[in-house]
Amino acid sequence: MTTESTEVAPPPSPPASSPGAAGRPAHEAPAPTWRAQLPSLVEKYALVFLFALMCVFFTVYQPTSDTFPSAANIRNILGNEPVVAIIALASILPLTCGQFDLSVGAVAGLSSIVTATAAAEHDVPVVLAVVLGIFSGCAVGLFNGVLVARLGVNALVATLGTATLVAGLVSLYTANLVISIGIPESLTALGSGTWLGLPRTVYTLAVIAVGVWYVLTQTPYGRQLTAVGVSPGSARLVGLRVDRYVLSSFVLSGGLSGVAGVLLLARAGTANPSVGPGYTLAALSAAFLGATALKPGTFNVLGTLLGVLFVAVSVNGLVLAGAADWVQPTFNGAALIIAVALSTSIARRRAGR
Amino acid sequence: MQNTVLHASHLSKTFGATTVLSSASVEVGRGEIHALLGGNGSGKSTLIKLLAGVHRADTGGTITVGGVSTPAERWSVEEAKRHGLHFVHQDPAVFPALTVAENIAIGRGFPTSSGGRIDRASLRRRTSEVLERFHIPATPDTLVAALRPADRVMIAIARALQDREGAHEGVLVLDEPTASLPAWEVDVLLAALRRYAEAGQTIVYVTHRLDEVIDLADRVTVLRDGRVAGSRDVEGLTEAGLVEMIVGRPLDRVFPEQRRQVATDVAMSVRGLAVGPLRGVDLDLHRGEVLGIAGLLGSGRSELLHALFGDLPVTSGEVTLAGRPLRVRSPRQAMEAGLALVPENRGADGLFSSLSVRENLSASVVRSYWRGGRLRHKAERTDARALVAAFGVKPDTDTPAAGTLSGGNQQKVVLARWLRRDPAVLLLDEPTQGVDVGARADIYAHVRAAADHGTAVLLVTSDFEEMAHVADRVLVLREGRVVAELLAPDITADRLTELSYLTMEVPA
Repeated sequence: MTTESTEVAPPPSPPASSPGAAGRPAHEAPAPTWRAQLPSLVEKYALVFLFALMCVFFTVYQPTSDTFPSAANIRNILGNEPVVAIIALASILPLTCGQFDLSVGAVAGLSSIVTATAAAEHDVPVVLAVVLGIFSGCAVGLFNGVLVARLGVNALVATLGTATLVAGLVSLYTANLVISIGIPESLTALGSGTWLGLPRTVYTLAVIAVGVWYVLTQTPYGRQLTAVGVSPGSARLVGLRVDRYVLSSFVLSGGLSGVAGVLLLARAGTANPSVGPGYTLAALSAAFLGATALKPGTFNVLGTLLGVLFVAVSVNGLVLAGAADWVQPTFNGAALIIAVALSTSIARRRAGR
Repeated sequence: MQNTVLHASHLSKTFGATTVLSSASVEVGRGEIHALLGGNGSGKSTLIKLLAGVHRADTGGTITVGGVSTPAERWSVEEAKRHGLHFVHQDPAVFPALTVAENIAIGRGFPTSSGGRIDRASLRRRTSEVLERFHIPATPDTLVAALRPADRVMIAIARALQDREGAHEGVLVLDEPTASLPAWEVDVLLAALRRYAEAGQTIVYVTHRLDEVIDLADRVTVLRDGRVAGSRDVEGLTEAGLVEMIVGRPLDRVFPEQRRQVATDVAMSVRGLAVGPLRGVDLDLHRGEVLGIAGLLGSGRSELLHALFGDLPVTSGEVTLAGRPLRVRSPRQAMEAGLALVPENRGADGLFSSLSVRENLSASVVRSYWRGGRLRHKAERTDARALVAAFGVKPDTDTPAAGTLSGGNQQKVVLARWLRRDPAVLLLDEPTQGVDVGARADIYAHVRAAADHGTAVLLVTSDFEEMAHVADRVLVLREGRVVAELLAPDITADRLTELSYLTMEVPA
């Protein structure tokens, strides 16, 4: 890319910057007017607006106007979504660093099986079982990280392979049987109970979300991770060990997916060896939708949560309206494609390319 | 002007509320080489893109080629092609992995025999004709990757013009064809262009390099701030005169004065450094001096800087910094030791183009804002704004994505990122590549100011004219060693060229 092309980039690129600063008055950029800011405001809040529109629509739409806005349905959505939301938050760490992690869903499935097996079949104390589950996620993340950062395997291929491998091993170990007996009650209570009127899973999500937000925006680590994702070459020359950031992002992603797996177990009360991988696509849709909103062009925590809610409310409404089984995968797939296309073009424009 | 081939009149272009080109007119006569000059952001690229039909002009202008007028807003890529405007862009779109014949054939299609197979014999024959017509020293079966850079540009030119058998119809528009060429390749290309012009080819030539304009062009049009600042014959113009037209103010001096006296306080000394093509380099870098490293592309100039910065493993050699042995194995260690590197490839190795100017500025010091368990964003913003003001970055805010800035401003950001660390040694690799003349002066003013504060500067640039103006002392690298040293009053571009080329063989 050449420098010259930047001078014709459409706004927000600045007006032609004049050569020479010395001895000449600087060009005063006109103060941004409300009208001039409108396109970027629309871009920022389009998803918020769509989300609100969906909610309003299903509230007034005759076939769903009874069921959709009911307290039970809202609690149901809020109770279920933290699993996807945490997986989506897990995926934005490698994404920030410029890498895809397609194993997040499979890892969540693995973690729920590990936790359930440890607690139900090996009588491991609950806390330790949970730690083991999260730890198994970190281990898979480390494996991904080594493949990508050390061996230079393309992340899409590496994590797709890992996801398939993990799912296969889980299937081998469990003989495809659902583990439903002996799940500790302290765990299922976390999944099904409410606290202050909100499902308890929401609080777990809140803790994780604040944690990820803190890491990404408030620590040097998060800033450096972004830098590595934007330009590995430039990152190397400001003294960053690019491979370490990539590797660690996969470990964190694995660990968080592990947490999601524990929550999945707590919510369902059973560990089903086949459900994990299905979460990957939904999580990535949410992450990319999120990258079009609030901080367009950047994977961000609030946007991701909004993305999760948007997909969840849409699918929930459609199902309540009596839509058939094909609706959910179709919606997820379409949302993913649109989100990726949008966030890519936003990021490209922002970079002046 | 009699016999006008191309006349663009009153072309304007606005993006939203921003006017990037306003009522620009250019008139190009038959058979002339017409240079188009202007700083980054002057609207020169926009003008080219309007002529190419890549961007659509605002209503009101007309484009006349060979007597046929078209309203500018109806101009398109197809129109440009139909009227005989041929464009060769900055980065000539040649395919290194394909042969010369294939590269040229891609312009107009492969000859095929029955069954749709490529007719190799006819392809080769046709290519040979084209190569001969354009005096390109290559055979049809050579891989383009094996050609000299200048020849690659000529392949792109030949591809654009191949259909114009003999008669030099139309206009060839070259957008900074020499930007990525090393000095000796530039001469090869310029000689070829001169030949085409003598044969009657009309050429519009966009460039940053003033000496080329004086050397090559018949007329020059200068753009400034989106307007045509002037259009005149090159005859009798000097580089200083051109600079004044570009910048729009008389320049007492574009570059800061050199120091006449070299300091004796050694900041860094290098002994027997071997890395890449370097076979034992010795040098002493003094506090407060700007030491130039001259040499041709491939002489190991960049490798020297990257090795010192810990970005390339060193084969052998000793480095001492302020008298203490220095062994850096990573850029981080080099930074901690007080080194800074402004790399050559700004896009891939310097800038974080989608991050804000602020984040780009603090990339080298992020950890210093980590206090009490969080990043101090307010302090970061305050510092960034101060740097933007101090370095004259335009627009003067710290929020836009760095990639949307012009080349000169991007480089100011990268430079500011390092100078804010107050480095003991500043390594500069082609710091003014793709930077307009005004920003160049600013950049060197900051480098000189840092040197005056005691920073030792090691400067690599292919622009020997610039080197001669800026450096206090120059070492010439040839065949992996330092072969000559020049001190300030005696540094001239001619001398540097001579010393760099001596016994030089043109690499294949």
